Amino acid sequence: MLKWLSPIFLSVLLAGCEDPNWHTSDISDIMPELDLSLMNENGQQVEEDAYIGKTTLLYFGYTHCPDVCPTSLARMTAAIKKLDEPARDDIQVLFVSVDPERDTPARLRQYTDVFGPQFIGLTGSTAQLDALTNRYRVSYGYGEKDENGNYDVSHSSGIFVFNEQGDARLLMRNSDPIPSMVSDLQRLMERG
Amino acid sequence: MVNKLRIGAMTRARGKWACGLLALLLTGGMAQAQDLSLKDARLSLLPGDMPGAGYFSLHNDSPENVTLVGAQSDAFKNTEIHMSMEKDGMASMHAVPEIDIAAGERFEFAPKGYHLMFMHRVAPLEVGDDIEVVLRFADGQQLPAIFEVVSPAAMH
Ligand SMILES: [Cu+2]
Repeated sequence: MLKWLSPIFLSVLLAGCEDPNWHTSDISDIMPELDLSLMNENGQQVEEDAYIGKTTLLYFGYTHCPDVCPTSLARMTAAIKKLDEPARDDIQVLFVSVDPERDTPARLRQYTDVFGPQFIGLTGSTAQLDALTNRYRVSYGYGEKDENGNYDVSHSSGIFVFNEQGDARLLMRNSDPIPSMVSDLQRLMERG
Repeated sequence: MVNKLRIGAMTRARGKWACGLLALLLTGGMAQAQDLSLKDARLSLLPGDMPGAGYFSLHNDSPENVTLVGAQSDAFKNTEIHMSMEKDGMASMHAVPEIDIAAGERFEFAPKGYHLMFMHRVAPLEVGDDIEVVLRFADGQQLPAIFEVVSPAAMH
């Protein structure tokens, strides 16, 4: 009985190990490499070369977003914490605010500090933000101001992942479980 | 409180009749406070004057439908009921004027869905603090509840 079962059991095990596919979406063939021109948390203009050399997660949002943005960033924090300690230094998250009117560099630094040392705040002029969002085929928009001057901002919810050379590799969605993100990040960091 | 009193009354052998009357008085008189309750109430706090989010599970164990129309906390200038939406890879959020909770039902305020949006903080707050938030209902009922202040990095 055991003898009869073992080949099947073994093949199931092997299939589990092989795992030829990514758990999140492979965008290698459909998205261009990292290319940006923005302002960093210190108010300096930066280009993509500042972020080459590490695995990079790119997310668009704004700090007056109390729900969706913090929850997405907290998922990234949780995923990063699951990586081996040395690997945590080889990954960075670019939080690009599409609300430059309210999100000053100082405010972005205060905000990204909440989520961990891997998080870097960026923003830019409308032209700079449009260039970047158009490049990754996402959009953003502003709601009307209320009597207190508050307004909502709509923004894309996916996370674009680039390898350390800056090639676009994966798109992680809110529906992707954290273990899937962790496993794909580990694989990407091992194989590029 | 009600249960303790009721058990205390029951253990006394004398006066079953009085005990029944006491239970009736208690359940009748305290129904409002008992029937609506918040479980797992948390306030996810961002630094400075960035807005925070309130999450909880609202239980309506009363025989009546209720309508949540607002909330208020002394620590923030204004508090609104909001809903986040995600459609075609785009996230957005908007204010919701009221929420109906049917008799016997519960309603979840949870990340990426309904949340209280706490705007313009006016008192210092830190992760680990407890703050009082009062929920308001259309029939005039008010439900005070303690929210635990938590880090957004822990909400996922
Ligand atoms: Cu909101």
